[in-house]
Amino acid sequence: MIYLAYQFDWRVVTDRWQMFLAGAWVDLWVAMIGFSLACGLGLVNALLRTSGVRIFTVPAFLYVQVMRGVPLYVMLVWIYFGIADITGILFTSYQAIIIALALTGSGYTTEIFRAGLAAIDRGQMEAARSMGLSRVRTYGHVVFPQAFRIVVPPLGNTFVGLLKGATIMSVIAVPDMVFLANELNVTLFTPFEVFAAVGAILVVMVLFFSAVVYVLERRLRIA
Amino acid sequence: MTSLFLTYTYDWSVIPASIAFFERGIQITLKISLLSVAFSLVLGLVVALVRMVPGPIGLVGFAYIQVFRALSLYVYILFIYFGLAAALGIRLDPIEAGVVALTLLNSAYMAEIYRAAIQAIDPGQREAARSLGLGGIGTFATVVFPQAWRIALPSLVNQFTDIIKDSSIVALIGAPDLMYQTIERVSFYQRPFEFYTTVAGIYLVMVVIVAQLASRLERRLQRHLA
Repeated sequence: MIYLAYQFDWRVVTDRWQMFLAGAWVDLWVAMIGFSLACGLGLVNALLRTSGVRIFTVPAFLYVQVMRGVPLYVMLVWIYFGIADITGILFTSYQAIIIALALTGSGYTTEIFRAGLAAIDRGQMEAARSMGLSRVRTYGHVVFPQAFRIVVPPLGNTFVGLLKGATIMSVIAVPDMVFLANELNVTLFTPFEVFAAVGAILVVMVLFFSAVVYVLERRLRIA
Repeated sequence: MTSLFLTYTYDWSVIPASIAFFERGIQITLKISLLSVAFSLVLGLVVALVRMVPGPIGLVGFAYIQVFRALSLYVYILFIYFGLAAALGIRLDPIEAGVVALTLLNSAYMAEIYRAAIQAIDPGQREAARSLGLGGIGTFATVVFPQAWRIALPSLVNQFTDIIKDSSIVALIGAPDLMYQTIERVSFYQRPFEFYTTVAGIYLVMVVIVAQLASRLERRLQRHLA
């Protein structure tokens, strides 16, 4: 009955709840910045992919395959250690995780934007063009507003995925909530409490954003 | 930071010198991934069936899916490998802990894939089978599931690509998988760029092969459905 030796001590968590929340906030804002950059990159890349010009479409396609095929953890250490070694660019650990999230995320967002743009009837584009709108204005006033409704739900799911992925950041010593839990575990030996707390915070955050996506999805469906 | 780009001399010879380590790592990665896929295929189906039971039992399935999908693999592994081991005395080796974590996470995803597929089957199929005298289990096993399986299979295989990628995280608790072997070699040779580029390539190849398999399966299954 060896497990009876473990004394549960939830005060390790409850006495430090502000620290856990501060750590969770690091996960959240890093994921948000990574996601924003992923959206920007994804949109540009989707336009390149649908441009019909081969020197753009082929690299854009390969980009998506690579970004979606490489694990986030590998991407992170490749940027943080590998790129630093060959170029001498010493990214801070925050920069490294944000870049890794942006790159990985952009593989998914590219495909989401591409599908969203493809779902808009060609007639819309042709009608706007024949009414004298420039290409930029056609996209800005006609295509994007309609595509926006289509892309929001899957983009929300991508954000949730990146938020979950962001918890890996403690391996390069970004002081997020998992980093805090690891530190507490090493010093106080309370692995059950601290990792349960981190898990609970993550579940709450993810379920909250999933609920937001669900509501948005229902709102936007009424077109 | 004295001079960008210019001072680094690449040494790719460290890669062929480490082939044996990569091979060993790939074996472990595939072992973990395949075991996790097999377990989560079964567990996912059970969860999907529980989820579709009306009433409070269905709610349990719903809660399982929501909670178990919401955790990241890293948090899972830390909780299972350190938390459960210390508190409940469940001592798993790193590979077992990785398989358990991957199975719990992916069974929740797979449950949703199964559910969507089962719900896509026309209710008339079930009604026809029941009116021909098949029992509830017989109807499911011989009529509904064989059709739903075809719809679900491509998505389930795609889930396999996520499992392969996620499995890299088991290296953090010391399971000697592909990523672990790579990290070891990096600290031996001090060549992070060459090794991490190579390992990224290996993961990419594995994922692309599985994804190709999924799209081929999809085409073949649709041909039969049409």
